[in-house]
Amino acid sequence: MSDRVRVALRTAPALLLVTVAVAGPWLAPHPIDAPVTAPYGTPGGDALLGGDQLGRDVLSRVLCGGRDLIVTSLLIAVLVTGIAALLGAVGAVRPAVGRVVERAADVLMLLPAVLGILLITLSWPDGGRPAIVGVAVVFGVPYAVRFVAGAAAPVAASGYVEAATAGGERLGHLVVREVLPNLRATLLALFGLRFVAAVYLVATTGFLQVGPQPPAADWALMIRENTAGILLNPWAVLAPSLAIGLLAISVNLAAEALVPRTGPRAVVPQ
Amino acid sequence: MAGLLTRSRIGRGAAHRVTVVLVRRALLLAVLLAVVFAAVELLPGDAATATSERGETAADVSERRRLLGLDRPLLVRFWEWMAGLPTGDLGVSARGVPVTEVLGGPFPNTLLLGGLALAVTTAASLALGCWASLRPGGGVDRLVGGSATAVLALPEFVVAVALLLVLSSWTGWFPAVTITGPDGGVADWTMLVLPVLALSIPQIGWNTRIVRAALADEPTAPHVETAVLDGLPRHRVLLHHMLPGAVPAIAIGLATSTGMLFGGAVVVETVFNYPGIGGVLTGAVTDRDAPLVAGVVALTGAVVTGVLLVADLLRIRFTGGRA
Repeated sequence: MSDRVRVALRTAPALLLVTVAVAGPWLAPHPIDAPVTAPYGTPGGDALLGGDQLGRDVLSRVLCGGRDLIVTSLLIAVLVTGIAALLGAVGAVRPAVGRVVERAADVLMLLPAVLGILLITLSWPDGGRPAIVGVAVVFGVPYAVRFVAGAAAPVAASGYVEAATAGGERLGHLVVREVLPNLRATLLALFGLRFVAAVYLVATTGFLQVGPQPPAADWALMIRENTAGILLNPWAVLAPSLAIGLLAISVNLAAEALVPRTGPRAVVPQ
Repeated sequence: MAGLLTRSRIGRGAAHRVTVVLVRRALLLAVLLAVVFAAVELLPGDAATATSERGETAADVSERRRLLGLDRPLLVRFWEWMAGLPTGDLGVSARGVPVTEVLGGPFPNTLLLGGLALAVTTAASLALGCWASLRPGGGVDRLVGGSATAVLALPEFVVAVALLLVLSSWTGWFPAVTITGPDGGVADWTMLVLPVLALSIPQIGWNTRIVRAALADEPTAPHVETAVLDGLPRHRVLLHHMLPGAVPAIAIGLATSTGMLFGGAVVVETVFNYPGIGGVLTGAVTDRDAPLVAGVVALTGAVVTGVLLVADLLRIRFTGGRA
């Protein structure tokens, strides 16, 4: 029970932050694209955190600027976890598949994901968000499969899966009914870790201006746009930086708390 | 590297393993380059249409396509690009300038930034990881572990902005903007401090945890237990008996960080206006210059391959060709 309380306490900040960011657009006091103060106006009066480079309300833009980042990152994390769960479980039952994925991971290790995203978004300018999600999934899956495979190997070697294999059960049945149900804890932790990685990647693409385009409100883009006026109104940079920083740290702490304490191993029924 | 290998007692087995590792790394790099070329080719749009300006006719675009050699068969161009790479020819950018010429100045600057960051990461994560391992579960261990977990997920540009605000804008200790000297390099060493720190801090977080975890596996090894029973001092056991066994895992962790450092360098350079590939890539984004990005990817892949190779050789050195 105390273990559950520990996990709940560590996941609470991340859940709270994600909720606020997703609900943010409804809480924003001003529209995100109309000036309410002077450019880089100091905090006060109508604008609690001052104005950005065009005098738009920083607070409203921070409240609106996290939803897309979080939704995109969640989508990436769901896709990576799902694909990796299937591939990892298949690889545990059929080692040849596992070896192919290992080689893919060895190749992708040579290419930083940030450069990979730049390459794809340049070659495919109209790709937009699907392109970013696609690249992030391609880069995330091989590492995630390693994580799943490590946990799936002992399950696949356990008596009941061997019995099912000997009983002539098909691959689909083995993976979905025998292996995956025992990897719940591992997959939950993996989802958290992939969400952290996705936030890093999506935020970085936003900062490099290959993600959301102005006048969209986006935390990473706000940092990029307002760095020039950092001395005039530090909050225009500080607020979105804190938002991304707190999101990354809280989600990471949550993911760490979810990792089974004995490392990424299977939860074998008592 | 050669000295390291000759000093070790490499038998025929280890020499064979070195060859296998070299061939394997070269093959993996070749596969990556082929994938990169295919990705650039197969996606819609090419360099000729990307650089087209308003009011250009389709004939103008196809003329430039002919000038850039894009009208020739895919396999011919693939072969030429791949064959040129080992000789240092990275192809031609969308603007018609050789990619090597565009990257000649910035790439060494990025290598300097990344190299310094890798050195700082190695030193700091080894020191912190060892310090935390001296008393497992103690205050230092928990403090180091907690801080490492907190910083490892931070995007580099967030770290960069924080450093900029604290160490430059508020205290004025370090310059916020990098100024390029007459030789195309960085004008003053103080301008390297903030970019190197911004790049290193998240990687120090990662690698400290890797060092700590690698050392945590060691105390059960028979030679370490013997050393402890012999009553050797704690730090001596750590440095002389535990650390050598942990080297392969630490080396592969640091080698993986090299790729992350390159990706992060692109971002950090943009923040500090550092004259590296980050600036070139930002220009390439505006120009939609895919051949230029492919060239950067090829160079990066080669450097990361080199570092992974060192990690492979260290593993062979420290396992003596076994395992």
